[in-house]
Amino acid sequence: MDLHAFKQRILPVQGRLFRLAQLFLRNREEAEDALQDVLLRLWSNRQQLDAYHSVEALAVQMTKNLCLDRLKALRRQPVTDSVEYVNVSATEASPHRQLEIADSASLMQRLIDALPEQQKLLIHLREVDECSYEEMEQLTGLTINNIRVILSRTRQRLRADYLNVNNHETDY
Amino acid sequence: MKLTIDELLERYYEGETTLAEEKQLRQFFEQDPIPPHLQTHAAHFRHFVAARQQEPSAEFTSRLAAKLALPEPGRIISLSSWAVRLAASVALVILGFAGGLLYDRHRTSIDPTVTGAAGDVATEMKKILAYSQLPETSASERIQAVNQSYDLPQADRDVTQLLINTLNFDANVNVRQAACQALTHFEQEPGVREALIQSLSIQTDPNVQITLIEMLVSIKEKRAVQEMQRLARRPQVLDVVRQKAQEGISNLARPS
Repeated sequence: MDLHAFKQRILPVQGRLFRLAQLFLRNREEAEDALQDVLLRLWSNRQQLDAYHSVEALAVQMTKNLCLDRLKALRRQPVTDSVEYVNVSATEASPHRQLEIADSASLMQRLIDALPEQQKLLIHLREVDECSYEEMEQLTGLTINNIRVILSRTRQRLRADYLNVNNHETDY
Repeated sequence: MKLTIDELLERYYEGETTLAEEKQLRQFFEQDPIPPHLQTHAAHFRHFVAARQQEPSAEFTSRLAAKLALPEPGRIISLSSWAVRLAASVALVILGFAGGLLYDRHRTSIDPTVTGAAGDVATEMKKILAYSQLPETSASERIQAVNQSYDLPQADRDVTQLLINTLNFDANVNVRQAACQALTHFEQEPGVREALIQSLSIQTDPNVQITLIEMLVSIKEKRAVQEMQRLARRPQVLDVVRQKAQEGISNLARPS
């Protein structure tokens, strides 16, 4: 696979990989960094890529694993600074927070961030990447029925959380 | 049978919608006047539509392109492909065989000069064993030179004389013993037997004395009896040597 073929096959997928990385890492720079890592790994292993049934699926898997690894590494670090920051922002700056809540787009973002990783991944694959159930089965290793159940639960949970926050807000 | 938005939503939350139906839902919530009772669903679908717009920055793309273009020249040198490795190993084996063959041919081409000219060996031997060379040659070199005399088909006077000199005057006991053994090899040469008998009176080292006695017995040199008796009578001779001499005398005196 030469540079031209690589660009033709892999680069159209990079937007999708980037969104997936952003879903987990929640940060543009981190996501771009992870994406670059994945693409360079694919590039250095390009001799073996033809053996894979779907390079795209491989790339998605690699991105997911890399992001989860990085999250784990981040969690292992002593993150006293950010903990303090969270505490501070939770106790004060309520006008700012209310403004944030009013912005429903970022509210959705926070609700999705709060989901467990599996639910996050599944709803992202379905709603953003528009994967069929077969593709999702291939990517996650779950059965289709299982995927349906988890998706349904995730959608309901997001809706319930959203209504919960909104009602709370209107109470004030 | 087109489903209404409400029905679609219900199916959506149950996880029963198809991809096309979900697309329909997203499109519906993208338009602006949304019926009030559906307003709360809008944020959900709009979020995912917005998430789809996210793309890596242009700066990232150019940075990546630069990195991809970079390692290209190094690739050719590396032995990453198995075919290259295989070719390299085969070449190595062929090189080894060729080297072996060349070396063999080289050896056989110089071989005739070694065996053909016995004089070469003799001159080389003479060079090493020459008395004046004594301080410059090691004992093992001289023993090797002495042993080379076995390769000579027949010895001339020079060689035997050289060996006799070595037997009598070499500084090292082991070289003298080797010379003694080499001389018995040439026992039929003129002067060798006499030299061996004579040497018996010259040698003072017990090892060489014993070797001499053994050699004289093995070549059945009866003329040595007198010299051996003299040796056995010498007061400073070791008991072992004396016993050996007497044993040799009785062996030689016995009629064969």
